[in-house]
Amino acid sequence: MELLPQALTDGILLGGIYITIAIAFSLTYGVMHVIDFAVGEWIMFGAFTGFYLNKWTGLDPFIFLPVIFVLYFGIGYLIQPVIHRVLSGTKGNPFLMGLVFTFGLAIMFRGLALTVFGFYSNSIPSMFSEGSFNIDQFGITVTIPAVRLVGLCYALAITGFLHYLLKKTNFGLGVRALAQHKDAAGLMGVNSKRTGSFVYGIYVGISAMTGVLMGCILSIGAQMGNEYTIFAFFVVVLAGMGYLAGVPWAALLLGLVQSIFMIYFNPSHTLLAVFAILYVILLISPRGLFGKGV
Amino acid sequence: MKTTNSRGPAILGILVAALLILPLVVHDTFVLRVLTEGIMWIGLAIAFDVIAGYTGYLNFGHGAFFGIGAYTIAILMMQANLPFWAALPAGGLAAGVVALIAGIPTLRLKGAYFAIATWALSRAIQQLALNVEFTGGPDGMRLNAFLNPQFFYYLMLITVGLTFLILWYLLERAPFGLKLKAIREDEEGAKALGLNPTKLKMQAFILSALPTGILGGIYAYWITFIDPSSTLGDLVSDQAVVMVVFGGMGTLFGPALGALLIFAFKTIFWAYLSDFQLLYLIILGALIAVSVIFIPNGLWGTLFKRKAAPPRREEPALTAVVAPEEGN
Amino acid sequence: MSETILTVDSVTKCFGGLTAVDDVSFTVQKGEIVGLIGPNGAGKTTLFNVISGYYSPTKGSVVFQGNDISGKPPYHLAGVGIGRTFQVVKPFAGLTVLENVVIASFLKHPKRTDAERHAWQVLETTGLADRAHVSAAGLTLAGRKRLEISKALALEPAFLLLDEVVAGLNPTEADRTVELIMKLKGQGLTILIVEHIMRVIMNISDRLVVLNFGRKIAEGTPAEVCGDAQVIQAYLGEAAA
Repeated sequence: MELLPQALTDGILLGGIYITIAIAFSLTYGVMHVIDFAVGEWIMFGAFTGFYLNKWTGLDPFIFLPVIFVLYFGIGYLIQPVIHRVLSGTKGNPFLMGLVFTFGLAIMFRGLALTVFGFYSNSIPSMFSEGSFNIDQFGITVTIPAVRLVGLCYALAITGFLHYLLKKTNFGLGVRALAQHKDAAGLMGVNSKRTGSFVYGIYVGISAMTGVLMGCILSIGAQMGNEYTIFAFFVVVLAGMGYLAGVPWAALLLGLVQSIFMIYFNPSHTLLAVFAILYVILLISPRGLFGKGV
Repeated sequence: MKTTNSRGPAILGILVAALLILPLVVHDTFVLRVLTEGIMWIGLAIAFDVIAGYTGYLNFGHGAFFGIGAYTIAILMMQANLPFWAALPAGGLAAGVVALIAGIPTLRLKGAYFAIATWALSRAIQQLALNVEFTGGPDGMRLNAFLNPQFFYYLMLITVGLTFLILWYLLERAPFGLKLKAIREDEEGAKALGLNPTKLKMQAFILSALPTGILGGIYAYWITFIDPSSTLGDLVSDQAVVMVVFGGMGTLFGPALGALLIFAFKTIFWAYLSDFQLLYLIILGALIAVSVIFIPNGLWGTLFKRKAAPPRREEPALTAVVAPEEGN
Repeated sequence: MSETILTVDSVTKCFGGLTAVDDVSFTVQKGEIVGLIGPNGAGKTTLFNVISGYYSPTKGSVVFQGNDISGKPPYHLAGVGIGRTFQVVKPFAGLTVLENVVIASFLKHPKRTDAERHAWQVLETTGLADRAHVSAAGLTLAGRKRLEISKALALEPAFLLLDEVVAGLNPTEADRTVELIMKLKGQGLTILIVEHIMRVIMNISDRLVVLNFGRKIAEGTPAEVCGDAQVIQAYLGEAAA
């Protein structure tokens, strides 16, 4: 039992970071109505970019977060019009084609990463990697690694930023209108192309930044993408597809499942547990834990 | 309803005859091996298209059903000491049952859920095989070798040939195929015509999984070694997607053509450029993306355009605005 | 009169806080055409969706030929003899006109050759036979509306729900559709029709049911309904009443 507080703390800290990935991912789905199978690959690319920037400059990876965001925002912004074109195609079934397209992107990215980065696993060193805080009160002992605390701060900042963007700006209003009804929003003067590009850019940027964080906290490898894609799916399905308010809870649950399996069970069974939960939720409440998905 | 011209059956007949005689002429085991695998991929691709092209639901975890078939047969033969012929149907059955279990929660929902769920399922099955005892874990399983290339060539040919004929009858001649297409085109509208979409999708999914499992079983006995990273890896699913998208969804000939071309490419690529195997993955991914953008109807659909398919004239934006909410 | 084919009994349908259909009751007799009218947002299409099984009623029931069908799925209702069209036409765009109708014909003709023969007959009736091999996506609006009716008819229903099959057509096309509807009535089909064009609905309906804000405000022959103060108010506003 004495490990439980530690498991809970780890879970919450990890889950906090998943929130950032899942919100951006869910937002993209809401606006573009397509699932991006390459989500894990964006995280992986971000992680490697951070890794190499750190290696070449010797500077702390956290310093590069803004650079990585801008870089990947740009990449996402440029790629989105292609996806948009596929989705607004008139031949075949555009929705199906959109899914296939992102699936193809994911395969291509994975191949690219394996070719360039190889099969090795690594981690990104940071000045926060070593330090940690110990809390020892009321007979409860909890260790909080500094890097995870920084991760949580990052997650709060990103979530706050997205919240502000969506609820307080005109841009956010356009995004929400698009998520409500794509064509009607278009008629009301929301530029779906440009808004879509922005949202996709923001999502790719945030995913890449989060990749750096995960690289500092856990590890990086060319094949890490799959796992994060599963995590992103898990969170958005549990939250209810396109329902942003459900994301934090689902993300925290994922963090907890992961940390509990790491401490109490066989960590390699984590994914199996994730699948089992996913299946049960789909079976009993397909629109997510809150029944608000689309 | 003429969908093939009169030369079609003749060409097909010659092709089948050639395939039947081939092993009597060609004794090179490598060639036979390549052909056997090529035929297998045709089977996997057309089975994939039942749910993807005809029904409009993307199964990104097709490889899982192949792997389930392979593992079922390996386990039954090596641990229950069942003969191959007794184990083979069980391979298909196991794949069908898993399709049923996976389909129940996901086929009621939008296609996006199905795509996610099947992909996740394939990862889950791989994890399961890695983590339990009776599959041999990461080391995989070895089967008793039965070294008879001709036997496997004919077995594969007959299985895929039968699969093709059955699917062709069900999808192109019987009402079933048209019903599936109705679901693909408009699920809500199909309900008003007396079609039960969930039931039909389930039937299609199982119909797609059954032959896939059987082919997996034959593959296991033929190759005599299976393990989670190859038999249950992403590559089987990924290749199936490429073959069908590149070849042409919603037909049987398209995926068959795609399977042939992609498999030929793969064979040549791995034979001459084995140092660049990873490049193959990039090419696969790029091929999907390029096909989607430039030939959304696939190679078959582009080469043999159906006569009655003028582009949609109505402005889609406006009709969609007034669309009523779809149930709840 | 004759036997009752459909009874809508105190049907209420709510979406969250919004009551789209509020305690509506009426009956349809065998062989008659009943028009369902009302201003935009009166709940006509919602009521259609309840009767055809797309929504289950929040309260109340729908009885068809003596059986309670409330909440039964649409494909079941198609099986017991209810055919419907959609206001927003829903052709299977990737298929031909003939294939569209063949799919509906499978309900009564499970064999493909029989279904095809039947589909041809339906297309002859509705005047689409010359377009049978055209892609459904290539039809004009009038053609699509006609295809909607063809699909519903191919089910060989006892009861037909027509949702704005005339609106949006030019006068000639409209007249042809009205002619078709009268022909179907002549064949003994019972029809419930929603339509905006008053000229049409007044002419073809035996009786009218008027909805406003989800409630039934009047019922009767076209002449009776026209004189109803509430109806005039609903359509023309306070001042006219």
